Amino acid sequence: MNLLPGPAAPATLPSHLNPAHIDAGNRTLAEMQELATSLTFAAMLTDDGFEIVHLNGATTDGGRFASMSSSVQALSDAVAHELKIGTNEYVIIASELGHVIQLRVQGHPIVLAALFDTHETLGKGLSIARIAARRMAQLMA
Amino acid sequence: MAEHVVLFAGPMGSGKTTAIRSLSEIEVVSTEAANTDRATADKETTTVALDYGEITIDDVTKVRLYGVPGQKRFDFMWSILAGRARGLLLLINNDAPESIALLLQYLADFHELHARGAVVIGVTKSDVRESPTVADYSAALTAKFPEQLIPVFTVDPRNAEEMRTLLLTLVASVEMRELLAPAPEKI
Ligand SMILES: Nc1nc2c(ncn2[C@@H]2O[C@H](COP(=O)(O)OP(=O)(O)OP(=O)(O)O)[C@@H](O)[C@H]2O)c(=O)[nH]1
Ligand SMILES: [Mg+2]
Repeated sequence: MNLLPGPAAPATLPSHLNPAHIDAGNRTLAEMQELATSLTFAAMLTDDGFEIVHLNGATTDGGRFASMSSSVQALSDAVAHELKIGTNEYVIIASELGHVIQLRVQGHPIVLAALFDTHETLGKGLSIARIAARRMAQLMA
Repeated sequence: MAEHVVLFAGPMGSGKTTAIRSLSEIEVVSTEAANTDRATADKETTTVALDYGEITIDDVTKVRLYGVPGQKRFDFMWSILAGRARGLLLLINNDAPESIALLLQYLADFHELHARGAVVIGVTKSDVRESPTVADYSAALTAKFPEQLIPVFTVDPRNAEEMRTLLLTLVASVEMRELLAPAPEKI
């Protein structure tokens, strides 16, 4: 039995209040915008739906979008779990005038959600979103 | 087999997810996420979309149990799920600040379901804080809705038997309403 006290629990600041995470998010989203002008809105949010940062928020209610994205992410995870098809990698909502792509930032309770207009192909949107999620993880490491 | 849909609502940490897990006969569908709002409820996870479970009562009645997130940020899920329910099981944690006002607020938020369906109130965590009492809640409800009798129970969501009693009360009330005003034919 190990009687030594464990390391003190890190003072975990929620990501949406953590300046380092906010900075990493802003940098990631700015880089993402450079890769795609078709990116009309993007946000990083905590798993429980608090917005950490967003890009191009003029026409979108960021707080509400973050809550909805978190619900959608959790429901999609539940479906993947129910069907026993492994980990849910992306969520795609393809609509007439745009598509939303969501994915998790590996190793963190953070979701990246991006809205592209239809000038972007889904394939390109996916690849940009994946690069951004990886970049976010890297900046937070 | 008769079927009913009931909704579990109420503040964050009042025990909606716990209650559905206590009651359900099937593996529940849950959508828990790491909770960053520790100030409101100091617990590991919080519901961000829904809970879903099922229970059969009397061998002939299946009850579908839906839970919503307690946090108002997710109120779009409240409207989505309230629409399919005929009964509301509102859990209120007794240790919440201003818990009577909070209960009335949640009832107002679900007024559409309250108007057309049955309602039962479960006061949780009365082991954590003793007051207000069931009589206090009942008095506030009677003052607000003088023409109605809304049942109030203390309940521990971790206790399946207690939850079952609450649910049976709600289902009886749903069935009574259906007898008095039959649901429109399904299309
Ligand atoms: N002592 C005590 N603990 C309780 C009681 N009821 C519930 N709990 C605990 O309080 C917590 C309730 O958590 P949840 O079931 O996740 O609450 P919830 O209503 O689903 O919360 P959200 O999904 O975040 O809105 C759990 O840790 C329960 O074990 C009670 O009557 N007494
Ligand atoms: Mg819950």
